[in-house]
Amino acid sequence: MQDISGALALIGYGLAAIGPGIGIGIVAGNAVQAMARQPEAANMVRTTMFLGIAFTEALALIGFVLFFLT
Amino acid sequence: MGELILAVGCDPAQEVICTPDSVNELFETGVVFRLFGFGVTRSVILIFAAALITLALLFFAYRRPRLVPSKFGVAIESMVDFVREEIAIGVIGPEGVRYFPYLLALFMFILVGNAFEVMPGINFPITSLIAIPMFLSLLTWVVFIAVGFAKNGFAYVSGVVWPRSVPLGLRPLVGLIEFVSTFVLRPITLAVRLFANLVAGHVMLTLLLVSGVVFVAHVDDIGFRSIIGLGWFAIGLAIFIFELVVIVLQAYIFTLLAAVYIETSLHPQH
Repeated sequence: MQDISGALALIGYGLAAIGPGIGIGIVAGNAVQAMARQPEAANMVRTTMFLGIAFTEALALIGFVLFFLT
Repeated sequence: MGELILAVGCDPAQEVICTPDSVNELFETGVVFRLFGFGVTRSVILIFAAALITLALLFFAYRRPRLVPSKFGVAIESMVDFVREEIAIGVIGPEGVRYFPYLLALFMFILVGNAFEVMPGINFPITSLIAIPMFLSLLTWVVFIAVGFAKNGFAYVSGVVWPRSVPLGLRPLVGLIEFVSTFVLRPITLAVRLFANLVAGHVMLTLLLVSGVVFVAHVDDIGFRSIIGLGWFAIGLAIFIFELVVIVLQAYIFTLLAAVYIETSLHPQH
């Protein structure tokens, strides 16, 4: 039986990245769809998309910080 | 950058040629000279350089305003105009002009600090040291809380912890979440977003480009295996172009979020 060693925090960060990854995909996908349907609203949609991404990303960033803390 | 890793335990006879002691090697450098008892490192010099470059760019672009500006003037003016129209006025509204100087300073300083990442001869983004983004985000934190109090008085805090638009039963829960996310998580995520992106970019660029150089430089010792180095270098160049996008995007996102936080302090009902 071989011992497995390494940082458990790395696995934790990997888990923390799953949800935001899916979330950012949904945000960006819907933003592209909105821009394709209404190209004249593209600027507004882009700003809102970055905001949505920024808020979604927060969870992944907290995971990143915990990885440094442990 | 190259010598930094090459100096750390490089032995061509080993299976693993170079083993850097720790990843901190990529971010910390020794004291260059001492001034009034403070040790001045490369990072300190670069911070002042970033501030001076920011000032110089704006000074030389606006020194002699002309009807038909030079190419340099157009480039800086379009950047300033972008921050003013898209971020300050676009996000905050007409009263955003008041906060435009602060947002422009943030944007330019972060952009120059990030651009050090890909500047030949420097290759080190100062925003990959947590002190810089954390200071900027704490400054933003102070600004948006001060704006909230100045505009709305105590109703600013009570609006956050006791949101009227939420059903009574949920108000304590939503208020608690809102309180933590507004006053604790906002500055942390704002700083860490910039920090994490630049750290990841710096580590990727350094490892890929330097390992490419190291492999090819040791062609005498490891023979045809050094062709792997060309592959690493090619991937490094691809990441390099990606980082050019990240540099501008992160400066934009930081400034955009600062504007949004100020906007939510001004109009807390949204």
